[in-house]
Amino acid sequence: MFDINWRGLLLPLAYLVVLVGTFMTFSTVYRKRKAFQSANLAPWFGPHLQRNIYLSLLHMEPEEGSEKAPKVPESVIRAALLRRALEDLNRIIQIRQAKAACSNLLQKGSVGDDLWQRFLRAEKEMEEELRDVVMEANALVPGWGQIIFQTANEIAANKALRERLEEIEGQTEHEKEWWEKKRATIRTEFMKELDEAESKSVASHDEPVLVDTNVSSSRPSTPGGAAKKGKK
Amino acid sequence: MSTDYTYDEEGHLWPFFVFTLTFIITLPLSFLLFKRSQDPAASFPRTKSNFTHKHTDIVESLRSQEKRKDRKLWLIVAVVTGWSVMGYMLYLINTTEGPSPQKLWNPYDILGISESASEKAIKKAYKLLSLKWHPDKAKPNPALNETMEDINNKYVEISKAYQALTDEDVRNNYIQYGNPDGKQGFSINIALPKAIVSDSNGKYVVLLYSVLFGVLLPYMVGSWWYGTLRRSKEGVLMESANRLFREFKENIDEGGIVTAFSTAQEYENLLKGDKADAGLAKLESRILADGELTPLAGGLSLKDKEKLEDIESGPQRKALALLWAYLGRIELDDPALNKLKFAVAPIAESLNKSFNAIALAFGATAPMLASYHTNQLLIQAIPPKSSPLLQLPHFTPAVVKAVDGDSKGHINVQDFMDRPDAKRRALVVGKGLLSSEQYNEAISVAKQLPFFRVAKAYFKVTGEKFILPSSLVSLVVKGRIVPPGSENVPEVDSLDLEDPDPAEDDLDALLGRKTKKLVGKDEKGKPIYESAEEQSIPVPLVHAPYFAKDHSPRWHVFLTDSKQGRVAVPPFTFTQFDRPIFEADGKTPTFAMQTLKAQFQAPPQPGHYTFVMHAVCDSYVGFDTKMEVTLIVEDASRAAELDQVVEDEISEPEEGEFGFYSKQDEERFTDIETDSIAGIMHAAKGGAPLKPKVKKVKQQEDSDEDSDEESGTDDDEEDDDTSATNTDTEDES
Repeated sequence: MFDINWRGLLLPLAYLVVLVGTFMTFSTVYRKRKAFQSANLAPWFGPHLQRNIYLSLLHMEPEEGSEKAPKVPESVIRAALLRRALEDLNRIIQIRQAKAACSNLLQKGSVGDDLWQRFLRAEKEMEEELRDVVMEANALVPGWGQIIFQTANEIAANKALRERLEEIEGQTEHEKEWWEKKRATIRTEFMKELDEAESKSVASHDEPVLVDTNVSSSRPSTPGGAAKKGKK
Repeated sequence: MSTDYTYDEEGHLWPFFVFTLTFIITLPLSFLLFKRSQDPAASFPRTKSNFTHKHTDIVESLRSQEKRKDRKLWLIVAVVTGWSVMGYMLYLINTTEGPSPQKLWNPYDILGISESASEKAIKKAYKLLSLKWHPDKAKPNPALNETMEDINNKYVEISKAYQALTDEDVRNNYIQYGNPDGKQGFSINIALPKAIVSDSNGKYVVLLYSVLFGVLLPYMVGSWWYGTLRRSKEGVLMESANRLFREFKENIDEGGIVTAFSTAQEYENLLKGDKADAGLAKLESRILADGELTPLAGGLSLKDKEKLEDIESGPQRKALALLWAYLGRIELDDPALNKLKFAVAPIAESLNKSFNAIALAFGATAPMLASYHTNQLLIQAIPPKSSPLLQLPHFTPAVVKAVDGDSKGHINVQDFMDRPDAKRRALVVGKGLLSSEQYNEAISVAKQLPFFRVAKAYFKVTGEKFILPSSLVSLVVKGRIVPPGSENVPEVDSLDLEDPDPAEDDLDALLGRKTKKLVGKDEKGKPIYESAEEQSIPVPLVHAPYFAKDHSPRWHVFLTDSKQGRVAVPPFTFTQFDRPIFEADGKTPTFAMQTLKAQFQAPPQPGHYTFVMHAVCDSYVGFDTKMEVTLIVEDASRAAELDQVVEDEISEPEEGEFGFYSKQDEERFTDIETDSIAGIMHAAKGGAPLKPKVKKVKQQEDSDEDSDEESGTDDDEEDDDTSATNTDTEDES
């Protein structure tokens, strides 16, 4: 019915193919790159040492030659879990503090999008981690999950306080030294002044004496000076 | 295609087209180039100093390198091509013959009469001409090469002209179409060369279009977009900003900030390849050697040393070592290392902008201040917690030691300069210290340093007597530039401290387009102000002989909550002042009262808010001011009440600012309030009858207050007024 001019249609069709093809290539390449980037984001926090210790304590490999894995005392495992909770607490506080600032900076364009991606991922990881710690705690001692983080918090506060104290106490030596030195210089200066004042007054006292007898002029000053030195 | 339009076949119109196009592109580019090639720093005054150090040449070469970086080669090429194309087009336009323009047909010209000629004159002229040119009468003049035909034509023209002026129809034709014969044909040409539209060239044109819109446009948009993504708002590489964010800690100090800078990607780019490790061992041994003033020569604390040693060797470690070498002003005995040493500082300064934005986002005061202090240290090349006296030329650690003596703290430039000349000369001039010329040079530089001494700071709302909740409050900071060691500083004129509102009809001033100028006083001694044109006086460029970049000092004013250690009102930055700072000779200070204003929103709840105001100069160490200010936000109903009382009973209520009291005054204010209405009146008037100055700033308890008094600054009154020129650099941590 219709006489279609296929040859005439060839050009627009080719145009469409090129157009759609370009868009598709672009979008696949772009998505792949994005996925690659987000898969290779550096983690926000470094390796979680405390968690690794806890897990390796929990899953001790049997030593060579023996069938059974060495028995780890319960208390050690609990202590390791508490340490893990402590580190988690540190991390979660860091995240809480940084969140508002990070999103604010991202909006202003002061930090990059990948930082925010890393941040979100770290946040999610930490949530999982906290849940895991609570479950582990409950498995070790029923009901411990509710209070393990409170305990960890107390430990953290104590640790911070002690660090601060140590820092201050560490300065005492230095301060003492400085004060001793200062005191010494002040004293010597003061003494010097006193000496000068005395010798001056002695000299003025001596003047009339000096007129009378030349020989005795030096005598009163020497014992005075000696006595003073003795007093020191 | 309508036959009315033709393309430019002869090629005499397209030059116009090309000319216009190039003109539109080239003009803005030329303007840009012109603006760039002008050195913005050239217009700034400079601190006069002849001081040079051993490596002034390196610093100078780095500075000029920095300036050259701004110039772009492509811009120059584009502008030159643009102008040459335009020139060629002009040449074409002038030389090519255009289509001969049709002459306007004017009957008056043909008849040889003026356009105001009467009908009679027209008739007369026609008769004369027709007698002369009638084909029966006139003979062709062989000398003029005339033929019979010419004469015939001439006669026809003359008759036509006459008809045009007398005959109704012909006249109408003439008026409507400009020709007695009626409408004439016309043509419209499009100023495109024919080549563009000719069929044979069609594919090239399509190709050109697809290259333009399919390749070039996406490329440009893409490169612009990724360019903006690559750098953060503060102009550092995005990756560096991210790393700085990671390095941020609430309790970070100056040394920590310097360590944080070393993680930046900029340094990785600077110290590529073998530059990363070359000379690192030597560098580290130098900075970790015993120092004269500090335990280590680089001025780094033991904590910073640990951090340096924790870093794996590579660009980061070298960058950090170089930064410490720069701050400690350590001689590295190696031209390449010395050059790098001076090159790392301007990068760190730009990184600091990013760090500052991050610190502000966290909102803690201590890192903010640490960031500003780091900026000062970087510009002056002074290690953290060192003597501010090192800013002065020729001042070496030995000299500083002689001044500081055994005291624990450091003597800052102002205190040093407040001492009598003989006393300070005796301290620093001597063998192994300064020579007399060096001393004079140092003193002359110190007397040019722009120390902003705050005289008063208060809050006000334009046109209101009280500060209502959520209103737009202005923080007004009044102060003068008093270089250290200035003599004969005039007393503060209390009139200068006021900040009168502009007249209500003065819209420009109300909208902040103009500033006010003091023109006189009325009979009651109140100042009369008049709007003046906006004046902005640049501050001299920083005297920073070691910093390889021209820097113009800035002042950052911000309010913090001292109890929580958080920033309450983010910083406002001032780079220019409204009154001249120095006389024409560039050295004598004018001591003119400067006004800095910052607007922010008042808290939504009424009450007394005590803030600590920081005014920090980003370029000089020890020039910071810290003082307590109180913002009193009145409840709307109470304010109305007070207002009513004031208006009823007092004929002339005092103008405005009402927000600023010292602690004692506040207490007194509340006491009075409860007593009687009269008390309220007093208070509302600013308590004028009781005490001349109620709105005074509480003097910040200040460790160097004693020394101030001792040294006997010119006027105690001034000291009292300037209220806490707390110049301590101590941070709050």
